[in-house]
Amino acid sequence: MERYLNKGIKEVIDQFPVVENILNEYEIGCAPCTVGTCLLKDIVGIHNLPADKEQEMMTRIAKTIYPDKEIEIPKVEREIEETVAELKYSPPMKKLVDEHVLIKRWLALIPAVVENLDVESAQGRELILDGVEFIRYYADKYHHAKEEDVLFQYFDENLEILNVMYEDHKTGRNHVKAILGALERKDKTTVAEHLTAYGELLKDHIRKEDEILLPWMDRNLSDRQIGEIFAKFNETDEQIGYSPAKYEAFIDGLEKRFNQ
Amino acid sequence: MQKFEGCPGSRMFEFKERDENDTQEATGKIESQLRQWPIQLHLISPLAPYYQGADVLLTADCVAYALGDFHRQYMQGKSIAIACPKLDEGQDIYVEKIKGWFAEAKINTLTVLIMQVPCCTGLINLVQQASLASERKVPIKQVVVGVQGEILQEEWV
Repeated sequence: MERYLNKGIKEVIDQFPVVENILNEYEIGCAPCTVGTCLLKDIVGIHNLPADKEQEMMTRIAKTIYPDKEIEIPKVEREIEETVAELKYSPPMKKLVDEHVLIKRWLALIPAVVENLDVESAQGRELILDGVEFIRYYADKYHHAKEEDVLFQYFDENLEILNVMYEDHKTGRNHVKAILGALERKDKTTVAEHLTAYGELLKDHIRKEDEILLPWMDRNLSDRQIGEIFAKFNETDEQIGYSPAKYEAFIDGLEKRFNQ
Repeated sequence: MQKFEGCPGSRMFEFKERDENDTQEATGKIESQLRQWPIQLHLISPLAPYYQGADVLLTADCVAYALGDFHRQYMQGKSIAIACPKLDEGQDIYVEKIKGWFAEAKINTLTVLIMQVPCCTGLINLVQQASLASERKVPIKQVVVGVQGEILQEEWV
């Protein structure tokens, strides 16, 4: 069993597809992940299931892998044991989750933007450029910069879950480049494809952060580190030189336009 | 357990005698984690060097007696002040001192430990008043301790 605990989740699922269903039943949604190199043991540890649920899930996975053997289930090590009382998001994590709300409002608008896509008129092109500006300066520079330049620096850079997050950010940036290139060529289909793909990517990415990554990080950071990260986030916001209010107004305007 | 009706903060309880085998006894001398003096909120200066950039613990007077592992679990690496939101006078001065921690001492975090009795929430209210009046914000954590030393709630406010 130890051998499989130390394997990447995609490899385990490829070999034993039923494992994907078992993980899904415990709300561990690894299937849509684009990378899938997280080790099975890290996935189990990071989701912090109650001990009895973890034991039950691991028994089912073990029976799938070794149907004819009685397997002793090893306890998956956690750096921090379950706390007595559940913690809410710490203030810096709450800040990131709050910023996700505006990004999610944008993602919800993408299907309407795609449906009304116009790469020919100046007005139509301006809408796409405004959307790209929102992605670049709010979702990426204002938000992802806090994650990459501050928060992730408190963790081992070789952690698979961080690699997945970096990879998602990179894929998002590539979609933006592709959108701009296609807009230049007035290639409506490609703009639509990459904008839709960006929306799907970010929706899943934010869910992973809100539900798994940020709570896990909260459990592993000391009070000292939480205070430092909070102060550094505030410094980052001050140094960035523009207000997020502009982007809130952009989303408000789009919602009025498309949700009428 | 004996009890009488009235203020929950003053209600009388007698806990069953603890079985010596029930608890894990620490062996050897337990080192104090206290690294400053004074500690009473009226007596401290928020500008004292040990508050500068510190992770500060503001605790209701009773907490240290209820929480068996108080020094190791909560005091390690922290600067401290104590107060009683029920009995202490001059609590407007407390608000000013907490504001001093936020704005001038530029503390890193503030953890507020209170007992489960309702009067203890007054300490959280003082901290929230100070935070609302301060431009500089810091993460504030609230820990609620039961009368038999159990942690009932621990969350960022």
